[in-house]
Amino acid sequence: MSDFDAIVIGAGNAGLSAAATLQRAGARTLLVERHNVPGGCATSFRRGRYEFEVALHQLSGVGLEGQAFSLRGLFDSLGVGDKLEFVQEHDLYRFKVPGQVDVTLPADRAAAIETLEEAFPGNRSRVEKFLDLVSNVTILQIAAMRGTSPEQIDPVLFRYGLRPSKDVLDEHFDDPGLKAALGVYWTYLGQPPSKLAFQDLALTLFAYLEFKPWHIRGGSQAMSTAILDSFLAAGGQVRFNTAVSAILTEGGQVLGVRLDDGAEVIAPDVVSNASLPITYGMLENMDVPAAVRDDLATRRIGVSGFALHMGLDATPAELGFTTSTTFVNLDTDDDRIHASWHSLEPARGVCVSSYDVAPIGFAPAGATHVSLVTLQYAHAWDGVPPSDYHRAKFAYAQTLLDVVEHVAPGIRDAIEEVDVATPRTMARYLGHPGGAIYGYDQDRTEGWLFRDSERRPHVPGLHLAGSWAGMGGFQPTLEAGARVARRLMRRKESVR
Amino acid sequence: MRHLYDGVPDILAEIETRAPDTSDHLAETARIVDLHHPRRLALTVAEVIVETPTTRTFRLRRADGEDLPPFLAGQYVGVFTDGTSRPLAISSSPARLDHYDLTVRRVPGGRISNHLIDTLAAGDQVTTTGPMGTFHHNPLFHGEDVVFLAGGSGVAPAMSMIRDIVDHGLDRRFHLLYGSRDEQDIIFRDELDRIAAGRPRIRIDHVIGDLLTAGTIRDLAGPLEGRMVYVCGPQALYPYALEQLTALGHARRRVRFEANGAPARPEEQAHWPAGVDPVEEVIVTAGGRSFRSPRGRPLLDALEDHGIRPEAACRSGECSLCRVRVVKGRVHTAEEARLRLSDERFGYTHSCVAYPLTDLDLDL
Ligand SMILES: Cc1cc2nc3c(=O)[nH]c(=O)nc-3n(C[C@H](O)[C@H](O)[C@H](O)COP(=O)(O)OP(=O)(O)OC[C@H]3O[C@@H](n4cnc5c(N)ncnc54)[C@H](O)[C@@H]3O)c2cc1C
Ligand code: FES
Repeated sequence: MSDFDAIVIGAGNAGLSAAATLQRAGARTLLVERHNVPGGCATSFRRGRYEFEVALHQLSGVGLEGQAFSLRGLFDSLGVGDKLEFVQEHDLYRFKVPGQVDVTLPADRAAAIETLEEAFPGNRSRVEKFLDLVSNVTILQIAAMRGTSPEQIDPVLFRYGLRPSKDVLDEHFDDPGLKAALGVYWTYLGQPPSKLAFQDLALTLFAYLEFKPWHIRGGSQAMSTAILDSFLAAGGQVRFNTAVSAILTEGGQVLGVRLDDGAEVIAPDVVSNASLPITYGMLENMDVPAAVRDDLATRRIGVSGFALHMGLDATPAELGFTTSTTFVNLDTDDDRIHASWHSLEPARGVCVSSYDVAPIGFAPAGATHVSLVTLQYAHAWDGVPPSDYHRAKFAYAQTLLDVVEHVAPGIRDAIEEVDVATPRTMARYLGHPGGAIYGYDQDRTEGWLFRDSERRPHVPGLHLAGSWAGMGGFQPTLEAGARVARRLMRRKESVR
Repeated sequence: MRHLYDGVPDILAEIETRAPDTSDHLAETARIVDLHHPRRLALTVAEVIVETPTTRTFRLRRADGEDLPPFLAGQYVGVFTDGTSRPLAISSSPARLDHYDLTVRRVPGGRISNHLIDTLAAGDQVTTTGPMGTFHHNPLFHGEDVVFLAGGSGVAPAMSMIRDIVDHGLDRRFHLLYGSRDEQDIIFRDELDRIAAGRPRIRIDHVIGDLLTAGTIRDLAGPLEGRMVYVCGPQALYPYALEQLTALGHARRRVRFEANGAPARPEEQAHWPAGVDPVEEVIVTAGGRSFRSPRGRPLLDALEDHGIRPEAACRSGECSLCRVRVVKGRVHTAEEARLRLSDERFGYTHSCVAYPLTDLDLDL
C-alpha cells in the first residue's frame, strides 16, 4: 500500500517544479525539505530593513511577453504565470578590468555590437560573426538534444560545440579585453573558458541576449513560494524541517523513504533534488549500481560560492552602480582567476548584483541591496580550523570589498547590514557536498553527450532532477524538474 | 550523435584517466555541517555558578568533552525545556570552545528563567540549537571603537564580547555602560573590574538604580560619532535607549539591538485593530487539532501549550524558523516580525510574534 504516488526530496528549483508538475497531473505527491522555507538556492532572508536575495543574479530565458520557447510557458504550466512579477534588466552587464576595460553591454544584439565597436574599434564584423556562431550553435544544440537526426544538423555544431570556449574566442579576436568581455558569463557556469565547452557558453550568452536578463519582484523566494503554493493548491503535501535520511528499496526497486524522525513513507517513485552522491549514498538495502558508481567516481564536486549580502544606505547611483550586474575582474587571465578559487588568496574577480537599479523591493527607499559573489571551492577552507573560521571569513570578505572599490569607491562607508556566506554556509543550507551550487564541475566532461544520470538513474523508481543531474542554474533546473516529472507520468501511464 | 563531434576522444580519455573519487560524501557533508551548524546539540551541565542572588551561569559541555561549534561573541543558542524553548546568549569566550556558558537571571513571573534556575543542576542534560543570531561585532562595518548599553542580564553577550577581545588580543576599544538595579544585582562584577583594570581600551561604567539617559551616555561614553552602539537588556530599555541615542544625534544604523522576544502587549502596536480585546479567546486549528487561546498570546506559545512544537530559535520574529501559513482567519503580525516580501502575499507569518485575531486555520 502506497502512502503517495511520488515523493520529492528537496524543494529547490527542480524539486519544486517536479512536485508541482506531478501533483497537477494527478499524482499524489509528498515534498520533503530539510530547510524551513522552499527554494534551496532560490531563497532570501531578512536583515534589518533589508531582504537579501541569496542566489538569483539574472534569470535567463524569461523572454518578452509572447516570445516562443520562453520560461513563461513553464511558469504557466506550473500555475504561477500570473503570480510572478518580472523585472527586466536592460543591460547584460558592465564588465570592468581596472585600468584596462570598462564596457556596459546592452541586452540587445545590435546595441551590444555598437557598444563593443566603440570600446574595441575595428572588431565589428568579428563580433557579428561570433554572435552568429553563438546563435547557430545554441539552436543546433537544442535541436540535437531534442532528437533531430544528425543529417539534418549543420555540422558547425560538431566543429564548435565541444571546443574549449577559449579556442573559439581566440579564433575570433585578438584583443584580450574583448575576449574577456564576451566570455565573462563563464563565471555563471563555474569553469574558465579553457575548460568550458563552447556550446555551454553559447547557450548562456544566447539565453540572456535573446530572452533578456530578468529579476523577480520579491526575489527568487517569491517564485519558490508561488510554485509551492500552486503545489499545495493542487492538493500536494509538504514537510519542512524534515530531511530524508534513507531511500528504501526492495528487490532493487524504490519502495519509499525514511525521514529523519524515523517515519517511513511508501511510494513507488522518488524524485531526488538532492545531490547525486547523497542520493545514491542514501540507498538502503541495495548496492549502488556499478554503472552509477563508476560514473560518479569520474565526476568532480563542483564549485561553491563566497557571498556578501549587503544592505547599503545609499542609492545605486550614489554608490556608483549603473547596471544591475557588474563583473569586476583584476585582469583578463581567466585561468588565473579560476585557480584562485582553490585557495583563500585574495579574490580576483567579483560579480556584483545591484538589486535596486531595477528594484525588486528588497531595500527601503534611498537604500540599496547588493550582493558580491566570487566562486570558490569548499576545500579552500579545509585548512581553517573551526575556531579560526569567523576571522578567516571576514578577512576574505574584505578582499571582495577591495575588488568592488574599483566600481563603487567608498562602498564600505555605506554599509548598514552585511552577512557573509562561505562554501560551508552553502553546504549547510543545501546539504550538497562541497556546498556546490551548480552541481558537478561543468567542464567538457559534463553535459548530455557524456553523462545521462537524468535519463538513466539505474534504479527503477528513482528519478533525478536538478543541478547535479544536468546543468546548474535557475532556468535549467526549473526545466529539468518539470521534464523529469512529465517523463515519470508518461511511464506511470504506460504501466497502467 | 556524440561521435560526430570534434574533440570527443580527448574528452573520453580525460574521463578514463581521472583518479576515481572515492570519498564518502554523505558522511563528509554531514561532518562539515555539524562542525558549524548542528541542528541540535546534546549538552551536559558541567557546573552551575551562582553569580548573584537571582542569577546563575550554566556551564555546558559535550558529553565527550570535544569542542563545541565556533560562535561569534554575542550569539545565542535556543535552549529546549519544559515543552518550549528560549534563546539565551552565550556569555563565555569564543576562544574557549570546550564549553558554552549561559547566564540566566530570574525574570519575575517568568516561566523558563525560574524553571532553569530552580531545576537545572550539574549532571543534567540539555538540548540546544547551534549558535545563531546577528547580534555580534562585524568587522566589515562596526569599526574598532564600540559602546555597549546593557541592562540586567543583557550583560551576558557583552561579557562574551569582552572575553573575545581579551582572549584574542584584539585591538578593539570597548565601552560598557551597564545598568543594574542595585549593587548586589551586578553580574560578572569582579571579572569585569579585573579586566578593565589593566586595559585602557576596555572601560566599564556601572549605572546603579538609574536610567541610561542621554546625559549619562554622553558624560560616560563621550562623542558617539562613527561608533557602533549595541543595546541589550529588558524590553523597556529598547525604545528608551533609541530615544536617548537619537537625542544625541546618533545615526539609527549605528545602533544594534539584540532580539528581544515577542511584545508583551501587542495591542499597543499601532496596527492592532481598534476595539479587539486581547484577552478574549479564539479557536486555533493546527496539526489536526483545535484549541482555544487568548488573542494576546503569541501563536508559537499557544501551539506549544497544546503540545505542538514548530521549529523555533529567536522567538523574536527574526530567524523565521517558526514560519507558518495562515490558511484561514486573520493574525496580528507584530512589528518585530522580519517577514519576507513574498510572505504576506502567500499568507505566511512568524508564529512567535503573531497573534490570532480571529478563529484560525494554520498549516505548520
Ligand atoms: C550565490 C549564488 C548565486 C547564483 N547565481 C545564479 C544566477 O545568477 N543565475 C542562475 O541561473 N543560477 C545561479 N545560481 C545557481 C542556481 O541557484 C542553482 O544552480 C539552482 O538553483 C539549483 O537548483 P536545484 O534544483 O539543483 O536545487 P538546490 O537549489 O540545489 O536545492 C536542493 C534542495 O534539496 C534539499 N535537500 C537536499 N538533501 C535533502 C534531503 N536529504 N532531504 C530533504 N531535502 C534535501 C536542500 O535543502 C535544497 O533545498 C546561484 C547560486 C548561488 C548559491
Ligand atoms: S522563532 Fe525566530 S522568527 Fe520566530
